Amino acid sequence: MNTDYLPILVQFLIAGGFAAVTLLISVVLGKTAQQRSEVKDQAYECGMLPIGETQPRFSVKFYLVAMLFVIFDIEVVFLYPWAVSFQEFVRDGVWVAFYSMLGFVGILFLAYLYALKKGALRWSD
Amino acid sequence: MMPAYYLEAAVVILGLVLMVMEAFVEKADKSLIAKMGIVGLLVVLVSLFFVSGPAEGDDAPIWSFYAVDPMALFYKGFALVTTILVLIMSLDYRSVLQHYMGADQEKPGAGIGEFHYLPLFTCAGLMWMASAKDIVSIFVALELVTISFYVLVAFMRRNVGSLEAGVKYLILGALSTGFFVYGLTWLFGLSGETELSKIAAALGNDDSAMVRYPKALLFSLAMILVGLGFKIAAVPFQIWVPDVYQGAPTPITAFLSVGSKAAGFVVGYRIMEPFFANHVAPQLVTLILAISGATILLGNLAAVAQENFKRLLAYSSISHAGFLLLALGCSSSTTSPVNVEGVMALYLGGYLAMTLVAFHVMCLVRAQLGSEDLSAYKGLSKRSPFLAGVLLVAMISLAGVPFTAGFIGKMYVFLMALQSRYFVIIALAVVGVGAGFYYYLKVVRAMYWDDAADDQSVQISTLSKVAMLTMVALIVILGIYPTPILNLFAA
Amino acid sequence: MITLNHYLFVSGLLFALGLSGVILRRSLIVIFMSLEMMLSAANLSLVAFSRFHLVDGLPNYNGQALVFFIITVAAAEVAVGLAIIVALFRARQTTSVDDITSMKY
Repeated sequence: MNTDYLPILVQFLIAGGFAAVTLLISVVLGKTAQQRSEVKDQAYECGMLPIGETQPRFSVKFYLVAMLFVIFDIEVVFLYPWAVSFQEFVRDGVWVAFYSMLGFVGILFLAYLYALKKGALRWSD
Repeated sequence: MMPAYYLEAAVVILGLVLMVMEAFVEKADKSLIAKMGIVGLLVVLVSLFFVSGPAEGDDAPIWSFYAVDPMALFYKGFALVTTILVLIMSLDYRSVLQHYMGADQEKPGAGIGEFHYLPLFTCAGLMWMASAKDIVSIFVALELVTISFYVLVAFMRRNVGSLEAGVKYLILGALSTGFFVYGLTWLFGLSGETELSKIAAALGNDDSAMVRYPKALLFSLAMILVGLGFKIAAVPFQIWVPDVYQGAPTPITAFLSVGSKAAGFVVGYRIMEPFFANHVAPQLVTLILAISGATILLGNLAAVAQENFKRLLAYSSISHAGFLLLALGCSSSTTSPVNVEGVMALYLGGYLAMTLVAFHVMCLVRAQLGSEDLSAYKGLSKRSPFLAGVLLVAMISLAGVPFTAGFIGKMYVFLMALQSRYFVIIALAVVGVGAGFYYYLKVVRAMYWDDAADDQSVQISTLSKVAMLTMVALIVILGIYPTPILNLFAA
Repeated sequence: MITLNHYLFVSGLLFALGLSGVILRRSLIVIFMSLEMMLSAANLSLVAFSRFHLVDGLPNYNGQALVFFIITVAAAEVAVGLAIIVALFRARQTTSVDDITSMKY
C-alpha cells in the first residue's frame, strides 16, 4: 500500500526542493549586486507595495474584474465535456448539440455586452 | 400546441431582451421595462393553456428531467401570476428605490432598470422548478431562483437595512444550499440515479442500497429537509426570515414569501413523495410533523408582539409554512378523496392572493407615508377607503374567516389532519389560529378604529387597482368555490 | 486499498469543518469560504459515489455532471456574494457579523 504513495512523496520533495533552491539562488545572486536602490525594492511588475499600511485598501475595481473573470472563466467547465462528445453528435447528424452551445455562448455574449456597456471593464474613470 | 419548455425559454429570452434594451437604450423610461415585462409575462400566461407534454413515442432526453403534469402547469401559472404582481408592485415602489439608489437629478432612473427585469429570471427558475424531476435540474432551478433573490434582496445599496438583509439571506441561503446538495449527493449515492422516477422505482427493489441502509437514507432525507426548511421558512430554520423580510425592498419581500415558499414545497413534495409509501415513512412523517407543530406555534405566537407590519407578515408567513407542512405530513395516511397535492395547491393559491394584496398595500403606504410600522396604518380607512377595504379582505382571509380562501385552505388541512389522527398538532394549530385572529385583526383595528395623524391621502394607479381587485376576487372565489383547483389534481 | 468509506469519511469531515466554520467564525469572508467548503464536500462524495458505482464497467457519469453544475453555481454564488459583501463593507466599513445588527426583534 505504501509504495502507492511514493510518487506523492517524491512530488513533495521536488516541490519543497524547488522552493528552497530558488530562494537560495536569489540570496546568493542578490549578494553580488550590493547596491540597493528605491527602484529595486519596489514590487516587480505588479502587486502590492511592500511598505505601507498593514491592511492596504484595494480599489473596488479589482473585485469587479475578479468577479467578472470568475463568472466567465468557470463557464469553460461546460465547454470541455461538450467538445469531447461533439464529434459523436455530429457523426449521428444531431445538430442540436451545436445550436444549444451557440445559445449558451450567445447568452454569455449578451452578459458581456451588458458588462461592457455598464462600464464594468473601464479601468480609468 | 407546443412543448411546455418553450415557456421558460420565452421568459428567459424576454428577460435578456429587456436587459440589453435597458443597457443600450438610455433614453427609455425605466418603468417601460417593467411594463414590457408585465405584458410579456401575460402573453406567456395565456400560452400556458396551449402547451403539451411529450408526444407518443417522443423520448427526447429533455423529457427525462422535465415533467409536464397538472402540478407543473399549476405552479408555472403560480410563478407567472406572482411575478406579474411583483412587477406591478415594483412600479409603485419606484420612489423608495430612487431614494436609496442615490439617484442624481440628471438620470432619475439610474440603477433601477435591473430591479424590473431580474424578477423575470427568478420567474423562469420558479417555472423550471415546477417541472424539474431530476436531481440536477432541481438543483440548478433552485439556485437560479436563490441567486437572483440574493441580488434583489440587497438591491437598495445605499440602504444599510437592505444590505444587511442581503448578507443574512446570502449566508443562510448558501448554508441551506450546502445542506440540500449534501442530501442530494447521498440520495444519488444510495440509489445510483438522478432521475426521481428511477429513484422511486429503485425503492421497490430490495437489493437497493436505499432499502439496505435505511439510516443513510434518512440522513439524506433529513439533510434535504433542512435545506428546504430554510427556503420555506420552517422552524428552526426561520431565524433569517424576519430580518430579511424587513430589510428587503417590499416587492421582493412579497416575491420571497410567495415564490420561494411555493417552490420549496413543490420540490419537497416531488422528492419526498416516493418515500411516504416506504419503510422510512414513519420517521419521515414524525420529523415533518414535529417541524410543522413548532412552526405553527412559534410563527403565530411571535407575530403577536410585532409592531412592524412587515415583521408581522414575516411571522405570519412562517406560520403558514407550518400549516403547509402539516398537509405534507398527511401524505402517507390520508384517505380522503381530496389529495395532498390539491390541498397544497389550494392553500398556496389563496396564500398568493392574500399575501400579495397585503404587500401591495404596504408598498403604497411605504412609498407615500414613508413607514412600515403598524402606526402608519392608523386611520387608513379615511386616507383611502379602497386600500383599507382590500387590506381588510386580505387580513380576514389570512386569519381564516369563513368564505375566504384562507379559511378553505386551513379547513382542508384540518380535515386531513383529523383523518390522520394527528391530535397534538391539531391542538397546536388551533392555538395558532386563535393567536392569528388577534394579530391580523390588530391591523384591521388600526385601519378602522384609530385616527390618522394627518389627512394625507394615498394615490393608487389604475393598474394597481386592477391588480388588487383581481386578487381580492380570487380570495373570495376560492373561498366559495375551490373545486376547480381540487379537480385539477384529482387522480 | 482506498474504499468508498474513506472518501465519504473525508467528505463528511470537510462538511463538518465547513459547517463549524460558518457557525464559529465572525468574519463574513471566512464564513463564505467555509460555505464553499461544504459544497466541495458534496462534490467529493459525488465523485466518489460515481467512481464506485459502476454502470456497465464505467463510472456513473450522472453524478459527475451534477458536480459540474455545483461548481458553476458555486462560482455564481461567490460572484454575487462578494459583490454584496463589498457593498456592505463600503456602507459600514466592517465585515464582521457582530456588527450586522441594525434590525432587532
